[in-house]
Amino acid sequence: MAERFAGCSAESGRESMLAEVLAGLLAVLDWQVLAFLCAGVCMGAVFGALPGLTATMGVAVLTPLTFWVSPEQGLAMLLGIYCGAIPAGGIPAILINVPGTPASIATSWDGYALTRKGQAGLALGINALASVTGQLASILFLSFLAFPIARFALQFGPAEYFGLALLGISLMAGVSGRHVLKGMLSGMLGLSLALVGLDPMTAYPRYTFGLSEFLDGISFIPVMIGLFGLAEVLVQVSERRAGIRSPAATIGRVIPSASECKSMLGATFSGATVGTMVGAIPAAGGDIGSVIAWEQARRTSPDKAKFGKGSLRGLAASCAACNGAIGGAMTTMLTLGIPGDAVSAVLIGALLIHGIQPGPLLFANRQSFVFSIVFLMAFASLLIMAVGILGARPLARILRVPAPWLWAGIVLFGSVGAYALNNAVADLWAMFAAGIVGFLFRKAQIPLGPLVLGLILGPMMESNLRRALILSRGDWTGMLARPILLLFLVGTVLALLWPLIQRWRTTRVSGNQDASPDA
Amino acid sequence: MSRSDIVAGGLFLALGIALLATGAAFPSGVGGLPGAGFFPQIIGGVTALLAGALVVNSRAGSAGSPVEIENIRHVAGALGLLCLYLLLWGTGFFVIRTAVFLLLLLTFLGQRWISAAVCSTVLTVFAYLAFDIGLNVSLE
Repeated sequence: MAERFAGCSAESGRESMLAEVLAGLLAVLDWQVLAFLCAGVCMGAVFGALPGLTATMGVAVLTPLTFWVSPEQGLAMLLGIYCGAIPAGGIPAILINVPGTPASIATSWDGYALTRKGQAGLALGINALASVTGQLASILFLSFLAFPIARFALQFGPAEYFGLALLGISLMAGVSGRHVLKGMLSGMLGLSLALVGLDPMTAYPRYTFGLSEFLDGISFIPVMIGLFGLAEVLVQVSERRAGIRSPAATIGRVIPSASECKSMLGATFSGATVGTMVGAIPAAGGDIGSVIAWEQARRTSPDKAKFGKGSLRGLAASCAACNGAIGGAMTTMLTLGIPGDAVSAVLIGALLIHGIQPGPLLFANRQSFVFSIVFLMAFASLLIMAVGILGARPLARILRVPAPWLWAGIVLFGSVGAYALNNAVADLWAMFAAGIVGFLFRKAQIPLGPLVLGLILGPMMESNLRRALILSRGDWTGMLARPILLLFLVGTVLALLWPLIQRWRTTRVSGNQDASPDA
Repeated sequence: MSRSDIVAGGLFLALGIALLATGAAFPSGVGGLPGAGFFPQIIGGVTALLAGALVVNSRAGSAGSPVEIENIRHVAGALGLLCLYLLLWGTGFFVIRTAVFLLLLLTFLGQRWISAAVCSTVLTVFAYLAFDIGLNVSLE
């Protein structure tokens, strides 16, 4: 199959591809799959619209609900949550200046300013339309570029996979802002946790403490529920963020006029492009993408002064970018098996539970499933447009739910979901411990993303490094003769040094300003 | 100086040293090739080095977000209730155990008895219907 994927004749390849596309579409057009997708989008909209609940938390807490259904149905629900939560995160950002998800930080800059001007409905409408544009543009990126990337990745051997995993963790540590060292240590803890269980090469038990529950390693989903669900609840309890301001009483018109749409077109598409590109970089998600896109739209806009004060262009660019990141992150996850952001990290865990290993072989062996994912995301985007425009008012009302009710719901569904995975009490304790670790990490400003990535990529990194060393008969220099590995290693070094270079440049610029005669 | 960085650095240093020590005890590979302790030792060594750097660097670190004593009490109380709930997992009826846990949790978090009772009942019944009845997960 892999050979067929890599080198079939053009005509037969086109025919078989068309057959796979149709098979993928037919799998999605099942009413049960569509029902799961609708349910996922609605649940995602609720998770996104409520400040404190994130897309990552939604996918992590609700993944156990998908264990009993087919991979298509389960994935439909999880993708629905993902695609629904990100645009809905813009609703509280616009109405009460509190981003519903980290990706919608830039949305609040212009969205809330529009609400204060009495144009909350228009801001919500732009959020829905630009989000759908961003998602659809990134789905096109996924459709056209995923197969060439996967085909290229088929050339990878164990050494390249090791380099790729190393690059993924380094990138995540590198984008941890001022906390690169802490990001790296967080990744190391993830790699350490991944050591628990049987040695992947010799099946020797490591760090199991004599408990049979640990022979298969630490269950990923309970750890995710603890890190992103329970820990978030504990952080909110510790900060007493119980009071959420009531949203604006009047919403106003939701649909933008034709001239408004025309003025936002360029900013929307450039935002979608930037978001998709940033989303495709492992670890850099919609939060980074939307800020970059907003800044780029500001620089290229004729009305720079309006940005941050209710600019339609600024709002459209940030909404399109944070949603464009979804397709970018999914492309990296599906083609290389490396999560593009925290949500896709949890999605990898969910796919593995359904027996699906993301990576280039998925494109060789289950092409129709890949197309099913593309169609599911496209349908979810269209559903989101309906939910975003028709459901803006009801979603604004759920902001009035008392925070302790949400906390209780997250704790209960997190616990039951963690237990339901294997009917194992050990998983409950894994969730509990991960919740405490996540809370302490948040308080000590240690990023959680690298920990998750380390936990996912640990087995891949170890087994491929050892395989590569076996193939090169223990010769490290022989490994370094491989150009793709070298490229990944250079990327790793650059990713880790980048924050230092940036700090040095900032210091130099401020030093020059101090030294100038005008200063 | 950031005290949380020093504590975190110390804990990571301990983890790194523990991995180095335990990794050395695992069987080595055949013919000079890496064995079960190879990767733990690499991870342990790198962790210890980075942890040392964090401790040294902690002078420049910010103090992290402060937690008030009153709020620590709330977090500890919520964790204590959850710990008790997990310890009692599998004993008695799920519905009663869960409803009581949620009622205590919500009142502890400042909700009035009536609203806490309504919320805990709704959530418990929903979780029971979804998982035990709908998905056949034995919660008893």
